[in-house]
Amino acid sequence: MELETAVRFSEIALAFALILQGLEYCRGLQSEKVLGFIFLFLSVLLLVGFQPVFVEAGLLVVSIISLRRFQGPYNGGSDCMSALVLLCLLLSHIVPTKFWQEIALGYLAFQLCFSYFQSGYIKIINADWRSGQALHDVFAITAYPISENIRRLAHSSRLMLIMTWLVILFELAFPLSLLNQTTLIIALIVAACFHLANACLFGLNRFFWIWLSAYPILLWFQARLLAN
Amino acid sequence: MLKLILPVLFPSWRFFSSIGPSPRIHIAFLKNENDEAGDWQEFRPKPFKISFAKGLLRLFHNPQWNEMLYINTCAERLFEGYSEMREQEIMHRIQSAIKAGEISTNTGARYVTYRISALMREGQVVSQPVTFIANPVLLKDAV
Repeated sequence: MELETAVRFSEIALAFALILQGLEYCRGLQSEKVLGFIFLFLSVLLLVGFQPVFVEAGLLVVSIISLRRFQGPYNGGSDCMSALVLLCLLLSHIVPTKFWQEIALGYLAFQLCFSYFQSGYIKIINADWRSGQALHDVFAITAYPISENIRRLAHSSRLMLIMTWLVILFELAFPLSLLNQTTLIIALIVAACFHLANACLFGLNRFFWIWLSAYPILLWFQARLLAN
Repeated sequence: MLKLILPVLFPSWRFFSSIGPSPRIHIAFLKNENDEAGDWQEFRPKPFKISFAKGLLRLFHNPQWNEMLYINTCAERLFEGYSEMREQEIMHRIQSAIKAGEISTNTGARYVTYRISALMREGQVVSQPVTFIANPVLLKDAV
């Protein structure tokens, strides 16, 4: 995938994710409604490709205002990834040479890979995760808005153990998928399904859309690596 | 400001590094500011089942549950230490839910308060001590 194509695909996916976030803010408190309308307006402009440099800069400013408003992320890691994708895409437009453009997008690709690897690493070094107990607690104890019938899955310790190890091994092995285009595409499909499951089970819908928006950049990055 | 921006530039992806105490929020209505709350009700109790259609819709539009994630973040910060901003953030959202008719008020109630309890597992024992009780606010001040 060409760099320009990857950037444009990523911008379209990011714009869609931010439109959804904007619509959600519009249902919140008064100050969030203002934030939501600005997000919506700028995201629609990004979707149609209108002045991406100014629009992405505007969205980044709104994201920083949002971080200040909520004294940190409103939605945890998904807000961090939103701002990171925005920042790297913006940098790819404003840096003076192709080399720095590739550095900016390469950093985003690295963080995307690392997000999976680090998640897997912190689990495998934790005895509660290795035994399946931590996933049991995620289902049974955490405040995630899980329906009561889904919480019952926690009673099956074997299911928890199998699910835990599938997730850990996948997350740790994710960077290896860069070795081949086919394995990367398969890994991205599996990862998207993983985010989809998190969205359905734990209500983490924002993570699904925002992680997806960085995938085109990883596809470009891998093609660039193999070209070397 | 730098403290807010640095995690964006150099994010940590330590999702679920450990499963700590998990907040539960209950609200109560009072006739007088100094009354002791007795009838606590869970704020936004979890549904028993979510249909496929509703699950699909939530993938695109899930404002209330994302707001709950933020409320839980505020509650977790209150575990670590008192913050007036976090206390008010939760209260404003409870007031907004009352104003929107999501929660019906008791007859004669003039004040609302909330408490946070920490659901946690120690060994095989699960406990839920109350860790924080908010200052009551007048219902007519609902945002």
